[in-house]
Amino acid sequence: MTRRSSVFAAALAAAALVLGGCATAGGGGSSSSAPATTSAGGASSSAPAETSSGAASSAAASSGMSSSGGSSSGASGAQSSAAGEQSSGAAVSQPAEKVTLRFQSLAFQDTTIAATKKIVDDWNAANPNIQVELVQGSWDNVHDQLVTQFQGKTAPDIIHDAADDILGFAQQGYLADLSPYLSPDVKSGVSEGVWKSVTVDGKVIAAPTLLQTYVVFANSKALSDAGVTAPTGDTMSWDDFQALAKQLTKSGQYGLGWSLKSPTATMMNLALNFGGTYFDTSSDPAKITVGDKEMQVPTRIHAMAYDDKSIDPTSMTQSGSDVLPAFYAGKFAMMVSGDYVAQQISEQAPSGFTWQVLPPLAGDTADQAADPQTLSVSADCKNPKEATEFINYFMQAANLAAVAQGDWLIPATQSARDEVLKETGGKNGWDQILASGEHLTNAPFLTVAQYPQWKDQIATPAFQQYLADQIDKDALVSQLSDGWSQVAGG
Amino acid sequence: MNPVRRLVGRPLAYLALVCYAIFLGFPLVWLLSTALKTPQELATLAPSLIPRTWAWSNFSDALRSQDLLHAGANSLMVAVASTILVTIVAMPAAYGLARFRTKMRPIALGWILVSQVFPVILIVIPLFLILQQFGLNNSLVGLVIVYLVWSLPFALWLLQGYVAGIPRDLEEAASVDGAGRLRVLVSIVLPLLLPGIVATALFSFVSAWNEFFFALVLIQDPALNTLPLALAKFVGQEGQVKLGALAAGSLLATIPSLLFFSFLQRRLTSGLLTGAVKG
Repeated sequence: MTRRSSVFAAALAAAALVLGGCATAGGGGSSSSAPATTSAGGASSSAPAETSSGAASSAAASSGMSSSGGSSSGASGAQSSAAGEQSSGAAVSQPAEKVTLRFQSLAFQDTTIAATKKIVDDWNAANPNIQVELVQGSWDNVHDQLVTQFQGKTAPDIIHDAADDILGFAQQGYLADLSPYLSPDVKSGVSEGVWKSVTVDGKVIAAPTLLQTYVVFANSKALSDAGVTAPTGDTMSWDDFQALAKQLTKSGQYGLGWSLKSPTATMMNLALNFGGTYFDTSSDPAKITVGDKEMQVPTRIHAMAYDDKSIDPTSMTQSGSDVLPAFYAGKFAMMVSGDYVAQQISEQAPSGFTWQVLPPLAGDTADQAADPQTLSVSADCKNPKEATEFINYFMQAANLAAVAQGDWLIPATQSARDEVLKETGGKNGWDQILASGEHLTNAPFLTVAQYPQWKDQIATPAFQQYLADQIDKDALVSQLSDGWSQVAGG
Repeated sequence: MNPVRRLVGRPLAYLALVCYAIFLGFPLVWLLSTALKTPQELATLAPSLIPRTWAWSNFSDALRSQDLLHAGANSLMVAVASTILVTIVAMPAAYGLARFRTKMRPIALGWILVSQVFPVILIVIPLFLILQQFGLNNSLVGLVIVYLVWSLPFALWLLQGYVAGIPRDLEEAASVDGAGRLRVLVSIVLPLLLPGIVATALFSFVSAWNEFFFALVLIQDPALNTLPLALAKFVGQEGQVKLGALAAGSLLATIPSLLFFSFLQRRLTSGLLTGAVKG
C-alpha cells in the first residue's frame, strides 16, 4: 500500500502553509476615512458574517415554498421572479412515484453550506415525491471522484462543479442536455456569453450558478496616505491602473502585489480586456493566436515589475491568497485577485484594516472570461426533468443570492445580482464586484480539449519564465505557439 | 572508551539526538500552535509559536462542521478490521513462503514484488468496477477488502523476512523434544515472530487509517466518510483553506495512530534470538 499518509500529509501541509506565511515580514494595519471602504476589524467579527448569514436567512424566508404550494406545471414551477422580486415557491408537479435525487454540493464556506442545506430542505418539504439527498463533496478532488463515478455509473444525479472541469465530461457524453427542462426565467436570466461557456455541441450541459472575476483590492489607508483618491467610474483603464501602482510605490512599499505563481488563468482571463482570445475554435484542433492583443496583459505586468518596479517581486512567486498577510501588513497598497478573496479578507484582516474594491480593469473592454460554477445532471440520471426542476429552483434569485454571498462570488442571473446588491447595499466591495460580473463572457480556451495540457506543460512555465525576466516577449510568443503545435499537433 | 572521548562524545550524541527530536517534533508542535490560533493571527506576517489569543473554537469547529467523530469511528472500524485480517492472512502465508522451498515460492515472491509497482490511479477504476459488481462499493466492507488486498503483499514480504530470521534449528530442536507441528508453531515460532507481527500490524493500521484515494473513489455516502475524506473538506476552491480547523482536525486525527503505536511499540523488541543457537 502506498505509504503516503494523508492524515499526516494534511497535518504537515497545514504546518507548511502556516510556515509559508513566515516568508515575508511586515508592518501594520490602518484605519480609513474613505466612504466606500470596508473596515475589516469590524468586518471580521460582524459585517460580512452578518451579511452572509442574513442572506441565508433571507433566502430561507423568501423561499416560501409553503405559500405557493400547488402544482405549477413542469419546469416552470420553480421559476424565479423578476429582478429583485422574492422567489416563488419550490413546489412543482409531482411524479406518481417517489423520486430521490442525489445532489453533490461543493459549497465550502459555512454560510454557503447552510444556504445550500436550506434550499434542499425547503425543496424537500414542498416536493414530497421529488426528494433531494444532499451529499457534501470537496473541490480538492472532485475531478478524480467524478472520473470513477462516471465510469462506474454511480455519479450523483445533480453535480456541482466548474465549467472548465465539467466540459471535458460533457464532451465524453456523461452529462444530460438540460435545455428541454430549464425554465424560461433561468434561460433569460443568464447572459448569452455565459450560456455559451456551458454549451457543448449545441447542448446545454449545465446551469451556470456563480462566477468569479479578477478585481483590484486596495488598502484604503495606503491610498489616503499617498494622497490618492480612489478611482471611481464604471471601469479603470490599464493605463490608469499602472500609473496608480507607480504612484503608490515608495520606499518599503510597493504599489501592487499579484500572486502569479500560476499565471496562465490570469493571462487568459484578462486577455479579453484587449480582445485577446488565444484560440480559434472554428477548426479542429483549435488554432492558437498569440498576437498583440494576447500580449498586452503579460507585457504590461512585465513593465510594472521591471520598468516601474511597482509590483512586489515576492508576491509574483506566490499563489492564490498567499499574498494576503503582506497586503494586511501594508507591504503593498493594492492586490489583484479573484473576488472570492473578499471573504477571506473580511474574516482574517486585522482590526482596523480598511479596504475597498476598485472599478473593474479595462483595456478596450472590461471583458473577462466566464468560467462559472455549474450544476449539471448526469446522463445516467433516470429523472433528468425532476433534477433540472430542482436546478431551476436553486437558480431562483433569493437562493442564488444566498449562496453567492456566502462565497463572495457573482450570481449568474441578473435577478440574483440585483438581490445581492439590494441585500448588501453594495457595501464590502459588492458594488464593484457585481459590476465586474457584467463583463463576463464566453472564452474560447474553456472549450479547447487540449487546453489543460497546454496550460500545464507549456503556458505556465513560459509565463513564469517571462515574468521572472528569464525570457523576452518574442521567446514567450514562440514558446506559447510552438508548444500548442506540440500538444495539439496543429 | 577513554574518558576524554566519553566526556565529549556523549554530550555530542545527546545534542544530535535532541536536534533530531526537534526536527521530528517541530511540525507537530507548529500544528498544535496553528490549531490554537485565530484566523487573524494565522494571516500575520510575524507568526509566533505561542498563540496570542487561544482559539479553542477551532477544535469545536472541526468536530462540528465535518462530523469528525463519526468519520473517526468509521476510520477506526476499517483500520482495525483490515489490520486483523491482514495479520491473520499474512502469518501462515509468510511462514509457508519462508519455510517451504516449492517451485511456487519464487513465482509468489516475484508476484508480490510486481504487485507493488502498479500506481493506485491505474487500478482504481477496474477495482471500482469489480466491487460494484459485488455491490461492495460505497461500503466499509468493500473498503476493508481493498485495504486487505492492497496491504497484503508488503505485509507478506515484511513478515516472511522475520520468519526467515528464525533459525530452523529451534524448530528442529523442539521436534526432537517431541513437539508436533502445531506445538512448534504456537510455542516456538509465534513468540519469536511477535515483533514481526507487531510491525506488520502497525503498518497495516497506519496505512488504512491514513488512506485517502480509495476511500474517495469508493465511498459516496457521507455517513461512511473516513477521517481523511472529512479532513479534505477543509480545503476549498482556489487554495482556500480553513487552516485553524484543518490543523485542529489533523491533530485529533493523529491521536489514535499515536496511541496505537505507543501501545504496540513495546513489543517491537529485537534481540530475542541473540544466542539462541551456536555457530
